[in-house]
Amino acid sequence: MPLWLNWVLAILTLVILLTIFIVSFVLYKKTPPPKGCEHLGQSEENCSKCDQHGCHLNLYYNGKKDEKKTEPVFDKDLENKENKK
Amino acid sequence: MSTAMTPYIVTFLLAILTGTLADNVILSRFYGICSFIGVGNKVKSAVSMGVAVSFVIILSSLICWPIYYFILTPLNIPFMDTLTYILVIASLVQVVGLFIKKYSPTLYKSFGIYLPLITTNCAVLGVVQSNTDTGISLGQSMGANFGMSMANAIGTSLGFVLVIFIFACIRERLEDADSPKPFRGVAIALVTAAIMAMAFMGLMGIGS
Repeated sequence: MPLWLNWVLAILTLVILLTIFIVSFVLYKKTPPPKGCEHLGQSEENCSKCDQHGCHLNLYYNGKKDEKKTEPVFDKDLENKENKK
Repeated sequence: MSTAMTPYIVTFLLAILTGTLADNVILSRFYGICSFIGVGNKVKSAVSMGVAVSFVIILSSLICWPIYYFILTPLNIPFMDTLTYILVIASLVQVVGLFIKKYSPTLYKSFGIYLPLITTNCAVLGVVQSNTDTGISLGQSMGANFGMSMANAIGTSLGFVLVIFIFACIRERLEDADSPKPFRGVAIALVTAAIMAMAFMGLMGIGS
């Protein structure tokens, strides 16, 4: 097989694959997301309003951020106990 | 089952075991570290990402192996392999995402936002590349080579899911732990990853 034919085939393969990619990309972008999934992603604004604390996308996942605010400080507890002794 | 098939099945299973534990894609080959660190902070999202990556790894291995041996090699253009794999993986991710977007809102909700990220996950490209890089050894049939490639893909996928799941579990516990301030966040995550890599080193030799 001559060398130029190799290059032609290589370029042809590349063009075919690029066309497939562009078509699939355009189709993906044109397809509307399912209902309720329009604004998926983490954002402070949306997550603070949302009640779904079980959602893995929620910044306040399982209420962990809220828990941390009221979390007891162990070092101070220990100090208090020692003081009492 | 015939006795002639037994060595093939044992080799297939051993290849899966090796890919999962001894030659783990993240902790031994260091592929896919970005998603491992980035998404591995919550168990649910880590598992979603793991499943999505596994799906794409297996599917792209299934497609890229025949492309290499039945299109690129006969046309004498095997040097186009990496470029071809990148475009195949990118197209595949778009097509899979398209179907999920259209037909499965539940799946879209669980790993819809992670799916486009897989295009840039080097674990997928690494596995596909290593499947064809080894070549067909003397006396090995095309079918056996394809089988081993698929075993490598399945093992790698299982290893990815396993490690990202364990890592996310540890990180969730570490969030509540009273770790020193300079270690909090990514620093303690990297220390955890290093300890996990050392633990997995103990499994080397399995399957050899």
